[in-house]
Amino acid sequence: MTGPALKGVQERWPSGELLHQWIRNSAAVLATGNEYATNLYNEYNKQAMPAFPSFTDEDIDNILAYIAQESTKEQGGAQAGTGAAAGGAAQDSGDNSLLFGIITLVLAIVALILMQINSNLNKLAADKEGVATPEPVPFYRNKAYIALGIVVLFIVGGYFTINGAIGLGRQKGYMPEQPIHYSHKVHVGMNQINCLYCHAGAEKSKHAMIPSENICMNCHKAISEYTGPDLFTAEGKKINGTAEIQKLYDYVGWDPQQQQYTKPGRPIEWTRIHTLPDHVYFNHSQHVVAGKQQCQTCHGPIQDMDEVHQFAELSMGWCINCHRTTKVQFAENKYYSIFEKFHQEVKDGKIDSVTVEMVGGTECQKCHY
Amino acid sequence: MKRTSNILVFAALAGGALLAACNTGENHRKPGRIYMPDMYDSRAYEFYSPRLAGLKPVEGTVKRGELLPYHVKEGDTALANTIKNPLTNITEADLAEAKRIYNIYCGICHGTNLDGNGPLYKGGEGPFPAAPANLAAGGPKAHLTQGRLFYVMTYGWNTMGSYASQLDREQRWKIAAYIKSVQGEKIVPAPDAAPVTETASPAASDGDTTQVKE
Repeated sequence: MTGPALKGVQERWPSGELLHQWIRNSAAVLATGNEYATNLYNEYNKQAMPAFPSFTDEDIDNILAYIAQESTKEQGGAQAGTGAAAGGAAQDSGDNSLLFGIITLVLAIVALILMQINSNLNKLAADKEGVATPEPVPFYRNKAYIALGIVVLFIVGGYFTINGAIGLGRQKGYMPEQPIHYSHKVHVGMNQINCLYCHAGAEKSKHAMIPSENICMNCHKAISEYTGPDLFTAEGKKINGTAEIQKLYDYVGWDPQQQQYTKPGRPIEWTRIHTLPDHVYFNHSQHVVAGKQQCQTCHGPIQDMDEVHQFAELSMGWCINCHRTTKVQFAENKYYSIFEKFHQEVKDGKIDSVTVEMVGGTECQKCHY
Repeated sequence: MKRTSNILVFAALAGGALLAACNTGENHRKPGRIYMPDMYDSRAYEFYSPRLAGLKPVEGTVKRGELLPYHVKEGDTALANTIKNPLTNITEADLAEAKRIYNIYCGICHGTNLDGNGPLYKGGEGPFPAAPANLAAGGPKAHLTQGRLFYVMTYGWNTMGSYASQLDREQRWKIAAYIKSVQGEKIVPAPDAAPVTETASPAASDGDTTQVKE
Protein backbone atom coordinates (compact mmCIF):
# COMPACT_ATOMS: atom_id res chain seq x y z
CA MET A 1 0.00 0.00 0.00
CA THR A 2 1.39 3.40 -0.87
CA GLY A 3 -0.46 5.53 1.64
CA PRO A 4 -3.25 5.66 4.18
CA ALA A 5 -6.90 5.52 3.19
CA LEU A 6 -8.25 9.03 3.02
CA LYS A 7 -11.60 8.30 4.62
CA GLY A 8 -12.02 10.33 7.79
CA VAL A 9 -8.69 12.06 7.24
CA GLN A 10 -9.85 15.30 8.88
CA GLU A 11 -10.78 13.52 12.12
CA ARG A 12 -7.40 11.86 12.26
CA TRP A 13 -5.19 14.89 11.90
CA PRO A 14 -4.60 16.96 15.03
CA SER A 15 -5.39 20.25 13.28
CA GLY A 16 -6.81 21.34 9.95
CA GLU A 17 -4.04 23.90 9.51
CA LEU A 18 -1.43 21.17 9.77
CA LEU A 19 -3.32 18.98 7.31
CA HIS A 20 -3.28 21.81 4.77
CA GLN A 21 0.47 22.20 5.17
CA TRP A 22 0.88 18.45 4.89
CA ILE A 23 -1.02 18.25 1.62
CA ARG A 24 0.84 21.21 0.16
CA ASN A 25 4.30 20.07 1.19
CA SER A 26 4.62 16.96 3.33
CA ALA A 27 8.40 17.17 3.54
CA ALA A 28 8.17 20.55 5.29
CA VAL A 29 5.83 19.15 7.94
CA LEU A 30 8.13 16.18 8.46
CA ALA A 31 11.04 18.59 8.90
CA THR A 32 9.23 20.22 11.84
CA GLY A 33 9.28 16.83 13.58
CA ASN A 34 5.52 16.65 14.09
CA GLU A 35 4.79 13.36 15.84
CA TYR A 36 1.67 12.32 13.91
CA ALA A 37 3.29 13.11 10.57
CA THR A 38 6.47 11.22 11.44
CA ASN A 39 4.55 8.16 12.57
CA LEU A 40 2.49 8.21 9.40
CA TYR A 41 5.62 8.54 7.29
CA ASN A 42 7.29 5.62 9.03
CA GLU A 43 4.18 3.48 8.92
CA TYR A 44 4.07 3.63 5.13
CA ASN A 45 7.68 2.68 4.56
CA LYS A 46 8.87 6.26 4.31
CA GLN A 47 7.16 6.87 1.00
CA ALA A 48 7.05 10.60 0.52
CA MET A 49 3.90 12.22 -0.83
CA PRO A 50 4.66 14.58 -3.72
CA ALA A 51 4.35 18.26 -2.86
CA PHE A 52 1.52 20.25 -4.43
CA PRO A 53 2.68 23.87 -4.01
CA SER A 54 0.17 25.09 -6.59
CA PHE A 55 -2.85 24.11 -4.45
CA THR A 56 -4.67 27.03 -2.88
CA ASP A 57 -6.38 26.70 0.50
CA GLU A 58 -9.66 26.61 -1.36
CA ASP A 59 -8.49 23.71 -3.54
CA ILE A 60 -7.51 21.72 -0.49
CA ASP A 61 -10.79 22.48 1.25
CA ASN A 62 -12.65 21.27 -1.82
CA ILE A 63 -10.69 18.02 -1.85
CA LEU A 64 -11.34 17.50 1.86
CA ALA A 65 -15.03 18.25 1.41
CA TYR A 66 -15.16 15.67 -1.35
CA ILE A 67 -13.45 13.09 0.86
CA ALA A 68 -15.86 13.85 3.70
CA GLN A 69 -18.83 13.51 1.38
CA GLU A 70 -17.63 10.21 -0.03
CA SER A 71 -16.89 8.91 3.48
CA THR A 72 -20.46 9.45 4.63
CA LYS A 73 -21.84 8.07 1.39
CA GLU A 74 -19.93 4.85 1.89
CA GLN A 75 -21.27 4.46 5.40
CA GLY A 76 -24.82 4.98 4.18
CA GLY A 77 -24.35 2.36 1.52
CA ALA A 78 -22.96 -0.14 3.99
CA GLN A 79 -26.00 0.29 6.22
CA ALA A 80 -28.43 -0.13 3.38
CA GLY A 81 -27.46 -3.66 2.61
CA THR A 82 -24.79 -6.14 1.75
CA GLY A 83 -23.26 -7.03 -1.56
CA ALA A 84 -24.65 -3.90 -3.16
CA ALA A 85 -21.21 -2.63 -4.08
CA ALA A 86 -20.36 -5.60 -6.25
CA GLY A 87 -23.72 -5.51 -7.99
CA GLY A 88 -23.54 -1.80 -8.68
CA ALA A 89 -21.07 -1.76 -11.53
CA ALA A 90 -22.67 -4.62 -13.41
CA GLN A 91 -26.10 -3.09 -12.90
CA ASP A 92 -25.12 0.16 -14.61
CA SER A 93 -23.82 -1.44 -17.80
CA GLY A 94 -26.86 -3.73 -17.87
CA ASP A 95 -29.21 -0.73 -17.77
CA ASN A 96 -27.44 0.94 -20.67
CA SER A 97 -27.49 -2.05 -22.98
CA LEU A 98 -31.19 -2.54 -22.23
CA LEU A 99 -31.83 1.08 -23.23
CA PHE A 100 -29.90 0.68 -26.49
CA GLY A 101 -31.77 -2.53 -27.20
CA ILE A 102 -35.15 -0.83 -26.77
CA ILE A 103 -34.12 2.09 -29.01
CA THR A 104 -32.92 -0.32 -31.70
CA LEU A 105 -36.17 -2.24 -31.54
CA VAL A 106 -38.28 0.91 -31.80
CA LEU A 107 -36.25 2.16 -34.76
CA ALA A 108 -36.55 -1.21 -36.47
CA ILE A 109 -40.34 -1.19 -36.07
CA VAL A 110 -40.52 2.37 -37.39
CA ALA A 111 -38.39 1.39 -40.40
CA LEU A 112 -40.64 -1.60 -41.06
CA ILE A 113 -43.79 0.53 -40.93
CA LEU A 114 -42.25 3.12 -43.26
CA MET A 115 -41.31 0.40 -45.72
CA GLN A 116 -44.87 -0.93 -45.66
CA ILE A 117 -46.28 2.55 -46.23
CA ASN A 118 -43.84 3.10 -49.06
CA SER A 119 -44.83 -0.09 -50.84
CA ASN A 120 -48.54 0.63 -50.32
CA LEU A 121 -48.15 4.13 -51.77
CA ASN A 122 -46.20 2.72 -54.70
CA LYS A 123 -49.01 0.26 -55.30
CA LEU A 124 -51.63 3.02 -55.13
CA ALA A 125 -49.65 5.16 -57.52
CA ALA A 126 -49.27 2.23 -59.90
CA ASP A 127 -53.00 1.47 -59.71
CA LYS A 128 -53.84 5.07 -60.49
CA GLU A 129 -51.66 5.09 -63.54
CA GLY A 130 -53.22 1.80 -64.62
CA VAL A 131 -49.99 -0.17 -64.53
CA ALA A 132 -50.65 -3.76 -63.63
CA THR A 133 -48.73 -4.88 -60.55
CA PRO A 134 -48.21 -8.46 -59.47
CA GLU A 135 -50.29 -9.61 -56.48
CA PRO A 136 -48.29 -8.52 -53.41
CA VAL A 137 -46.83 -11.30 -51.27
CA PRO A 138 -47.73 -11.04 -47.55
CA PHE A 139 -44.63 -10.25 -45.49
CA TYR A 140 -44.63 -13.57 -43.68
CA ARG A 141 -44.20 -15.35 -46.98
CA ASN A 142 -41.75 -12.87 -48.39
CA LYS A 143 -38.46 -14.70 -48.77
CA ALA A 144 -36.32 -11.67 -47.91
CA TYR A 145 -38.21 -11.14 -44.66
CA ILE A 146 -37.95 -14.79 -43.70
CA ALA A 147 -34.22 -14.84 -44.39
CA LEU A 148 -33.78 -11.69 -42.30
CA GLY A 149 -35.80 -13.20 -39.45
CA ILE A 150 -33.71 -16.35 -39.48
CA VAL A 151 -30.48 -14.39 -39.38
CA VAL A 152 -31.73 -12.28 -36.46
CA LEU A 153 -32.86 -15.37 -34.57
CA PHE A 154 -29.51 -17.03 -35.15
CA ILE A 155 -27.66 -14.02 -33.82
CA VAL A 156 -29.87 -13.71 -30.74
CA GLY A 157 -29.89 -17.44 -30.08
CA GLY A 158 -26.15 -17.65 -30.63
CA TYR A 159 -25.57 -14.79 -28.23
CA PHE A 160 -27.47 -16.51 -25.43
CA THR A 161 -25.89 -19.87 -26.22
CA ILE A 162 -22.35 -18.54 -26.11
CA ASN A 163 -23.03 -16.45 -23.02
CA GLY A 164 -24.58 -19.37 -21.22
CA ALA A 165 -21.73 -21.66 -22.20
CA ILE A 166 -19.15 -19.15 -20.96
CA GLY A 167 -21.05 -18.87 -17.70
CA LEU A 168 -20.81 -22.60 -17.07
CA GLY A 169 -18.53 -23.33 -14.15
CA ARG A 170 -18.31 -19.68 -13.10
CA GLN A 171 -19.87 -18.58 -9.87
CA LYS A 172 -19.14 -14.90 -9.51
CA GLY A 173 -21.49 -13.45 -6.90
CA TYR A 174 -22.19 -16.86 -5.34
CA MET A 175 -23.26 -16.22 -1.75
CA PRO A 176 -24.47 -19.41 -0.10
CA GLU A 177 -26.18 -19.47 3.26
CA GLN A 178 -23.68 -20.72 5.80
CA PRO A 179 -24.52 -22.90 8.80
CA ILE A 180 -23.62 -19.99 11.08
CA HIS A 181 -24.14 -16.36 10.07
CA TYR A 182 -20.48 -15.49 10.45
CA SER A 183 -19.91 -11.84 9.59
CA HIS A 184 -16.48 -10.91 8.26
CA LYS A 185 -17.54 -7.30 8.65
CA VAL A 186 -17.87 -7.71 12.42
CA HIS A 187 -14.67 -9.71 12.86
CA VAL A 188 -12.37 -8.06 10.35
CA GLY A 189 -13.91 -4.66 9.79
CA MET A 190 -14.99 -3.75 13.31
CA ASN A 191 -12.71 -5.83 15.53
CA GLN A 192 -9.62 -5.55 13.34
CA ILE A 193 -8.70 -9.22 13.43
CA ASN A 194 -6.12 -9.91 10.75
CA CYS A 195 -7.16 -12.30 7.96
CA LEU A 196 -4.19 -14.51 8.79
CA TYR A 197 -5.33 -14.93 12.39
CA CYS A 198 -7.96 -17.41 11.26
CA HIS A 199 -6.71 -18.27 7.76
CA ALA A 200 -3.22 -19.05 9.00
CA GLY A 201 -2.57 -21.38 6.09
CA ALA A 202 -2.53 -18.58 3.52
CA GLU A 203 1.15 -17.96 4.23
CA LYS A 204 2.21 -21.55 4.63
CA SER A 205 0.19 -23.70 2.33
CA LYS A 206 -1.73 -24.08 -0.88
CA HIS A 207 -4.93 -23.54 1.09
CA ALA A 208 -5.82 -20.48 3.14
CA MET A 209 -7.72 -22.90 5.40
CA ILE A 210 -11.20 -22.64 6.78
CA PRO A 211 -10.32 -22.13 10.45
CA SER A 212 -10.92 -25.02 12.78
CA GLU A 213 -13.33 -24.52 15.66
CA ASN A 214 -10.64 -24.13 18.31
CA ILE A 215 -9.65 -20.88 16.57
CA CYS A 216 -13.21 -19.57 16.98
CA MET A 217 -13.09 -20.59 20.62
CA ASN A 218 -9.86 -18.63 21.21
CA CYS A 219 -12.11 -15.61 21.58
CA HIS A 220 -15.59 -17.06 21.93
CA LYS A 221 -14.79 -18.88 25.15
CA ALA A 222 -15.09 -15.41 26.64
CA ILE A 223 -17.26 -13.57 24.11
CA SER A 224 -20.68 -15.20 24.38
CA GLU A 225 -22.95 -12.41 23.24
CA TYR A 226 -23.11 -10.05 20.32
CA THR A 227 -23.58 -6.40 21.19
CA GLY A 228 -22.64 -4.68 17.93
CA PRO A 229 -24.94 -3.10 15.34
CA ASP A 230 -27.83 -5.15 13.95
CA LEU A 231 -26.97 -7.83 11.43
CA PHE A 232 -29.07 -8.69 8.42
CA THR A 233 -28.98 -11.41 5.80
CA ALA A 234 -28.88 -10.47 2.14
CA GLU A 235 -32.66 -10.97 2.06
CA GLY A 236 -33.05 -8.43 4.87
CA LYS A 237 -33.83 -10.93 7.62
CA LYS A 238 -32.58 -9.79 11.01
CA ILE A 239 -29.95 -11.96 12.64
CA ASN A 240 -29.60 -12.49 16.36
CA GLY A 241 -25.84 -12.45 16.85
CA THR A 242 -25.94 -14.03 20.30
CA ALA A 243 -27.98 -16.94 18.95
CA GLU A 244 -25.39 -17.42 16.20
CA ILE A 245 -22.63 -17.66 18.83
CA GLN A 246 -24.81 -20.20 20.64
CA LYS A 247 -24.85 -22.24 17.41
CA LEU A 248 -21.05 -22.31 17.56
CA TYR A 249 -21.25 -23.57 21.17
CA ASP A 250 -23.61 -26.33 20.04
CA TYR A 251 -21.13 -27.40 17.38
CA VAL A 252 -18.12 -27.50 19.67
CA GLY A 253 -20.01 -28.78 22.71
CA TRP A 254 -19.12 -25.86 24.95
CA ASP A 255 -21.26 -24.95 27.93
CA PRO A 256 -20.93 -21.20 28.54
CA GLN A 257 -22.46 -21.49 32.04
CA GLN A 258 -20.02 -24.12 33.28
CA GLN A 259 -17.21 -22.67 31.14
CA GLN A 260 -16.13 -26.07 29.89
CA TYR A 261 -16.62 -28.52 27.05
CA THR A 262 -19.47 -30.80 28.03
CA LYS A 263 -20.24 -32.59 24.76
CA PRO A 264 -18.11 -34.00 21.96
CA GLY A 265 -17.69 -31.47 19.18
CA ARG A 266 -18.69 -31.92 15.57
CA PRO A 267 -17.41 -30.07 12.53
CA ILE A 268 -19.19 -27.04 11.14
CA GLU A 269 -19.94 -27.81 7.52
CA TRP A 270 -19.21 -24.46 5.93
CA THR A 271 -20.22 -24.17 2.31
CA ARG A 272 -17.27 -23.60 0.09
CA ILE A 273 -17.56 -20.48 -2.05
CA HIS A 274 -14.31 -19.98 -3.94
CA THR A 275 -13.38 -23.05 -5.84
CA LEU A 276 -11.23 -23.82 -8.83
CA PRO A 277 -11.51 -26.89 -11.04
CA ASP A 278 -9.16 -29.72 -10.20
CA HIS A 279 -7.18 -29.11 -13.39
CA VAL A 280 -6.03 -25.72 -12.13
CA TYR A 281 -3.26 -25.44 -9.60
CA PHE A 282 -3.54 -22.49 -7.29
CA ASN A 283 -1.34 -21.87 -4.27
CA HIS A 284 -2.18 -19.27 -1.64
CA SER A 285 1.27 -19.04 -0.07
CA GLN A 286 2.83 -18.39 -3.48
CA HIS A 287 0.58 -15.39 -4.02
CA VAL A 288 0.66 -14.08 -0.46
CA VAL A 289 4.30 -14.58 0.50
CA ALA A 290 6.27 -14.40 -2.75
CA GLY A 291 3.76 -12.34 -4.73
CA LYS A 292 2.90 -10.14 -1.73
CA GLN A 293 -0.73 -9.88 -2.81
CA GLN A 294 -3.39 -8.55 -0.49
CA CYS A 295 -6.28 -10.91 0.26
CA GLN A 296 -8.66 -8.25 -1.07
CA THR A 297 -7.13 -8.35 -4.56
CA CYS A 298 -9.00 -11.56 -5.29
CA HIS A 299 -11.54 -11.79 -2.49
CA GLY A 300 -12.79 -8.21 -2.70
CA PRO A 301 -13.79 -6.00 0.22
CA ILE A 302 -14.12 -8.92 2.65
CA GLN A 303 -13.93 -6.54 5.60
CA ASP A 304 -17.24 -4.99 4.49
CA MET A 305 -19.08 -8.23 3.79
CA ASP A 306 -21.57 -9.59 6.29
CA GLU A 307 -22.05 -12.63 4.13
CA VAL A 308 -19.19 -13.49 1.84
CA HIS A 309 -19.80 -13.74 -1.85
CA GLN A 310 -17.40 -14.61 -4.61
CA PHE A 311 -15.99 -11.29 -5.69
CA ALA A 312 -13.78 -12.22 -8.60
CA GLU A 313 -14.64 -14.15 -11.72
CA LEU A 314 -11.97 -16.82 -11.04
CA SER A 315 -11.95 -17.55 -14.74
CA MET A 316 -8.81 -18.23 -16.69
CA GLY A 317 -9.06 -14.89 -18.48
CA TRP A 318 -9.22 -13.16 -15.11
CA CYS A 319 -6.09 -14.97 -13.87
CA ILE A 320 -4.15 -14.28 -17.04
CA ASN A 321 -5.13 -10.62 -17.13
CA CYS A 322 -3.78 -10.13 -13.64
CA HIS A 323 -0.58 -12.01 -14.47
CA ARG A 324 -0.06 -9.79 -17.50
CA THR A 325 -0.47 -6.52 -15.68
CA THR A 326 0.76 -7.20 -12.16
CA LYS A 327 4.27 -6.06 -11.49
CA VAL A 328 6.37 -8.45 -9.48
CA GLN A 329 7.93 -7.01 -6.34
CA PHE A 330 11.36 -7.73 -7.65
CA ALA A 331 13.57 -5.88 -5.23
CA GLU A 332 14.18 -7.38 -1.79
CA ASN A 333 12.34 -10.55 -2.70
CA LYS A 334 14.56 -13.60 -2.41
CA TYR A 335 12.07 -15.69 -4.34
CA TYR A 336 13.03 -14.04 -7.63
CA SER A 337 16.78 -13.87 -7.10
CA ILE A 338 17.42 -16.41 -9.88
CA PHE A 339 16.15 -14.02 -12.56
CA GLU A 340 19.56 -12.43 -12.91
CA LYS A 341 19.00 -11.09 -16.40
CA PHE A 342 15.94 -9.12 -15.36
CA HIS A 343 17.67 -7.85 -12.25
CA GLN A 344 20.52 -6.60 -14.44
CA GLU A 345 18.13 -4.97 -16.91
CA VAL A 346 16.26 -3.24 -14.09
CA LYS A 347 19.56 -2.01 -12.76
CA ASP A 348 20.63 -0.78 -16.20
CA GLY A 349 17.31 0.99 -16.64
CA LYS A 350 16.36 -1.04 -19.74
CA ILE A 351 13.06 -2.05 -18.14
CA ASP A 352 11.37 -0.31 -15.25
CA SER A 353 9.46 -3.27 -13.87
CA VAL A 354 8.92 -6.98 -14.33
CA THR A 355 5.43 -8.41 -14.79
CA VAL A 356 4.36 -11.87 -13.72
CA GLU A 357 4.15 -12.81 -17.39
CA MET A 358 7.86 -12.07 -17.86
CA VAL A 359 8.80 -14.55 -15.14
CA GLY A 360 6.69 -17.24 -16.76
CA GLY A 361 3.35 -16.43 -15.20
CA THR A 362 1.36 -17.18 -18.34
CA GLU A 363 3.00 -20.47 -19.23
CA CYS A 364 0.36 -23.21 -19.49
CA GLN A 365 2.14 -25.58 -17.18
CA LYS A 366 2.45 -23.01 -14.41
CA CYS A 367 -1.15 -23.78 -13.48
CA HIS A 368 -2.12 -26.80 -15.56
CA TYR A 369 -0.06 -29.90 -15.01
CA MET B 1 -35.20 -26.43 -46.38
CA LYS B 2 -37.20 -23.71 -44.65
CA ARG B 3 -38.49 -26.19 -42.09
CA THR B 4 -34.98 -27.41 -41.22
CA SER B 5 -33.72 -23.90 -40.62
CA ASN B 6 -36.74 -23.08 -38.48
CA ILE B 7 -36.07 -26.14 -36.35
CA LEU B 8 -32.42 -25.11 -36.08
CA VAL B 9 -33.41 -21.63 -34.99
CA PHE B 10 -35.74 -22.86 -32.30
CA ALA B 11 -33.19 -25.39 -31.09
CA ALA B 12 -30.59 -22.64 -30.83
CA LEU B 13 -33.00 -20.39 -28.94
CA ALA B 14 -34.14 -23.08 -26.56
CA GLY B 15 -30.55 -24.19 -25.91
CA GLY B 16 -29.49 -20.61 -25.34
CA ALA B 17 -32.29 -19.98 -22.88
CA LEU B 18 -31.43 -23.19 -21.02
CA LEU B 19 -27.75 -22.30 -20.75
CA ALA B 20 -28.57 -18.74 -19.76
CA ALA B 21 -30.71 -20.12 -16.95
CA CYS B 22 -27.66 -21.95 -15.60
CA ASN B 23 -25.81 -18.68 -15.41
CA THR B 24 -26.79 -17.63 -11.91
CA GLY B 25 -25.83 -13.96 -11.92
CA GLU B 26 -25.37 -11.78 -8.83
CA ASN B 27 -25.96 -12.60 -5.19
CA HIS B 28 -27.22 -16.06 -5.76
CA ARG B 29 -27.61 -18.59 -3.06
CA LYS B 30 -27.00 -21.48 -5.42
CA PRO B 31 -23.75 -22.18 -7.21
CA GLY B 32 -23.58 -22.15 -11.00
CA ARG B 33 -23.57 -25.28 -13.10
CA ILE B 34 -20.31 -26.97 -13.98
CA TYR B 35 -19.53 -29.11 -16.96
CA MET B 36 -17.59 -32.34 -16.71
CA PRO B 37 -17.63 -32.68 -12.91
CA ASP B 38 -15.04 -35.44 -13.16
CA MET B 39 -12.55 -32.81 -14.29
CA TYR B 40 -13.79 -30.30 -11.76
CA ASP B 41 -13.76 -32.27 -8.52
CA SER B 42 -10.52 -33.83 -7.51
CA ARG B 43 -10.29 -37.59 -7.48
CA ALA B 44 -7.06 -37.37 -5.57
CA TYR B 45 -7.10 -36.56 -1.86
CA GLU B 46 -7.71 -32.88 -1.42
CA PHE B 47 -7.83 -30.83 1.72
CA TYR B 48 -11.50 -29.86 1.68
CA SER B 49 -12.95 -33.30 1.12
CA PRO B 50 -15.21 -34.26 4.04
CA ARG B 51 -13.10 -37.32 4.80
CA LEU B 52 -9.87 -35.40 5.20
CA ALA B 53 -10.82 -32.06 6.71
CA GLY B 54 -9.58 -31.45 10.22
CA LEU B 55 -7.13 -34.34 10.38
CA LYS B 56 -4.02 -34.01 12.50
CA PRO B 57 -0.57 -35.02 11.25
CA VAL B 58 0.32 -38.64 11.84
CA GLU B 59 1.59 -39.19 15.36
CA GLY B 60 5.35 -39.15 15.68
CA THR B 61 6.09 -37.48 12.35
CA VAL B 62 7.87 -34.20 11.77
CA LYS B 63 7.39 -32.08 8.66
CA ARG B 64 10.50 -31.30 6.64
CA GLY B 65 12.18 -28.18 7.97
CA GLU B 66 10.09 -28.21 11.14
CA LEU B 67 11.45 -28.05 14.68
CA LEU B 68 11.51 -31.14 16.85
CA PRO B 69 8.33 -31.96 18.76
CA TYR B 70 7.68 -30.49 22.15
CA HIS B 71 7.31 -33.18 24.76
CA VAL B 72 6.17 -31.24 27.81
CA LYS B 73 2.74 -32.50 28.84
CA GLU B 74 -0.12 -30.15 29.55
CA GLY B 75 -0.04 -29.06 33.19
CA ASP B 76 3.67 -29.61 33.71
CA THR B 77 4.51 -25.93 34.02
CA ALA B 78 7.51 -26.56 36.28
CA LEU B 79 9.25 -28.43 33.47
CA ALA B 80 7.99 -25.97 30.86
CA ASN B 81 9.64 -23.08 32.71
CA THR B 82 13.06 -24.68 32.31
CA ILE B 83 12.89 -25.48 28.60
CA LYS B 84 15.32 -23.37 26.58
CA ASN B 85 14.59 -21.88 23.19
CA PRO B 86 16.00 -24.29 20.58
CA LEU B 87 16.52 -21.39 18.18
CA THR B 88 19.90 -20.43 19.55
CA ASN B 89 20.93 -17.81 17.04
CA ILE B 90 18.02 -15.55 16.39
CA THR B 91 18.75 -12.63 14.10
CA GLU B 92 17.27 -9.16 13.87
CA ALA B 93 15.37 -10.34 10.79
CA ASP B 94 13.87 -13.17 12.83
CA LEU B 95 12.74 -10.71 15.46
CA ALA B 96 11.20 -8.47 12.82
CA GLU B 97 9.32 -11.47 11.45
CA ALA B 98 8.32 -12.45 15.00
CA LYS B 99 7.00 -8.94 15.56
CA ARG B 100 4.87 -9.25 12.46
CA ILE B 101 3.46 -12.60 13.59
CA TYR B 102 3.00 -11.33 17.13
CA ASN B 103 1.00 -8.36 15.87
CA ILE B 104 -1.29 -10.64 13.87
CA TYR B 105 -1.88 -13.46 16.34
CA CYS B 106 -1.13 -12.01 19.78
CA GLY B 107 -1.46 -8.25 19.39
CA ILE B 108 -5.20 -8.52 18.79
CA CYS B 109 -5.59 -9.20 22.55
CA HIS B 110 -2.24 -8.48 24.21
CA GLY B 111 -1.73 -5.27 22.27
CA THR B 112 1.05 -4.42 19.88
CA ASN B 113 2.85 -2.75 22.81
CA LEU B 114 2.50 -5.96 24.88
CA ASP B 115 0.48 -3.98 27.43
CA GLY B 116 -2.48 -6.35 27.43
CA ASN B 117 -4.69 -3.78 25.74
CA GLY B 118 -5.30 -4.94 22.18
CA PRO B 119 -8.18 -3.92 19.91
CA LEU B 120 -10.38 -6.76 21.21
CA TYR B 121 -10.12 -5.50 24.82
CA LYS B 122 -9.62 -1.74 24.38
CA GLY B 123 -9.50 -1.05 28.10
CA GLY B 124 -12.79 -2.87 28.65
CA GLU B 125 -14.68 -1.30 25.74
CA GLY B 126 -13.99 -4.09 23.28
CA PRO B 127 -16.01 -7.27 23.00
CA PHE B 128 -13.50 -9.33 25.00
CA PRO B 129 -14.60 -9.21 28.65
CA ALA B 130 -11.44 -10.42 30.42
CA ALA B 131 -8.30 -8.31 30.53
CA PRO B 132 -5.50 -10.06 28.59
CA ALA B 133 -2.17 -10.50 30.37
CA ASN B 134 0.14 -7.53 30.38
CA LEU B 135 3.42 -8.79 28.93
CA ALA B 136 5.27 -5.49 28.97
CA ALA B 137 8.56 -4.97 30.77
CA GLY B 138 8.07 -4.57 34.50
CA GLY B 139 4.55 -6.01 34.21
CA PRO B 140 3.19 -8.94 36.20
CA LYS B 141 4.16 -11.46 33.50
CA ALA B 142 7.62 -10.12 32.73
CA HIS B 143 9.29 -12.85 34.78
CA LEU B 144 7.97 -15.68 32.57
CA THR B 145 10.70 -17.57 30.77
CA GLN B 146 10.69 -18.22 27.04
CA GLY B 147 9.93 -21.86 27.84
CA ARG B 148 6.85 -20.85 29.79
CA LEU B 149 5.68 -18.45 27.08
CA PHE B 150 6.03 -21.25 24.57
CA TYR B 151 4.06 -23.55 26.86
CA VAL B 152 1.23 -21.04 27.13
CA MET B 153 1.12 -20.54 23.37
CA THR B 154 1.06 -24.30 22.89
CA TYR B 155 -1.57 -25.30 25.44
CA GLY B 156 -3.30 -22.04 26.30
CA TRP B 157 -3.75 -20.56 29.76
CA ASN B 158 -6.97 -19.58 31.52
CA THR B 159 -9.18 -17.98 28.86
CA MET B 160 -6.48 -18.02 26.23
CA GLY B 161 -6.67 -20.95 23.83
CA SER B 162 -3.94 -22.95 22.19
CA TYR B 163 -2.24 -21.36 19.22
CA ALA B 164 -0.54 -24.55 18.12
CA SER B 165 -2.89 -24.92 15.16
CA GLN B 166 -2.09 -21.46 13.83
CA LEU B 167 1.60 -21.10 14.65
CA ASP B 168 4.18 -23.79 14.09
CA ARG B 169 6.78 -24.49 16.74
CA GLU B 170 9.40 -22.25 15.18
CA GLN B 171 7.01 -19.33 14.98
CA ARG B 172 6.03 -19.81 18.63
CA TRP B 173 9.65 -19.86 19.77
CA LYS B 174 10.37 -16.77 17.72
CA ILE B 175 7.45 -14.98 19.36
CA ALA B 176 8.68 -16.05 22.81
CA ALA B 177 12.08 -14.60 21.95
CA TYR B 178 10.47 -11.44 20.59
CA ILE B 179 8.47 -10.91 23.79
CA LYS B 180 11.60 -11.28 25.89
CA SER B 181 13.52 -8.95 23.59
CA VAL B 182 10.85 -6.26 23.96
CA GLN B 183 11.02 -6.77 27.71
CA GLY B 184 14.70 -5.86 27.45
CA GLU B 185 16.41 -9.21 27.38
CA LYS B 186 19.31 -9.55 24.99
CA ILE B 187 18.25 -12.08 22.36
CA VAL B 188 20.32 -11.38 19.29
CA PRO B 189 23.90 -12.56 19.79
CA ALA B 190 26.85 -10.30 19.09
CA PRO B 191 26.71 -8.84 15.57
CA ASP B 192 29.71 -10.84 14.38
CA ALA B 193 27.83 -14.10 14.85
CA ALA B 194 27.34 -16.03 11.63
CA PRO B 195 24.04 -15.32 9.85
CA VAL B 196 21.51 -18.08 10.25
CA THR B 197 19.08 -19.45 7.73
CA GLU B 198 15.47 -18.70 8.52
CA THR B 199 14.27 -22.29 8.65
CA ALA B 200 16.21 -25.35 9.54
CA SER B 201 17.82 -26.67 6.37
CA PRO B 202 16.14 -29.74 4.84
CA ALA B 203 19.23 -31.81 5.47
CA ALA B 204 19.19 -30.95 9.16
CA SER B 205 15.51 -31.69 9.47
CA ASP B 206 15.98 -35.07 7.84
CA GLY B 207 18.32 -35.83 10.66
CA ASP B 208 15.67 -34.60 13.05
CA THR B 209 13.08 -36.96 11.64
CA THR B 210 15.27 -39.97 12.20
CA GLN B 211 15.87 -38.93 15.77
CA VAL B 212 12.18 -38.74 16.46
CA LYS B 213 11.45 -42.32 15.47
CA GLU B 214 10.86 -44.20 18.63
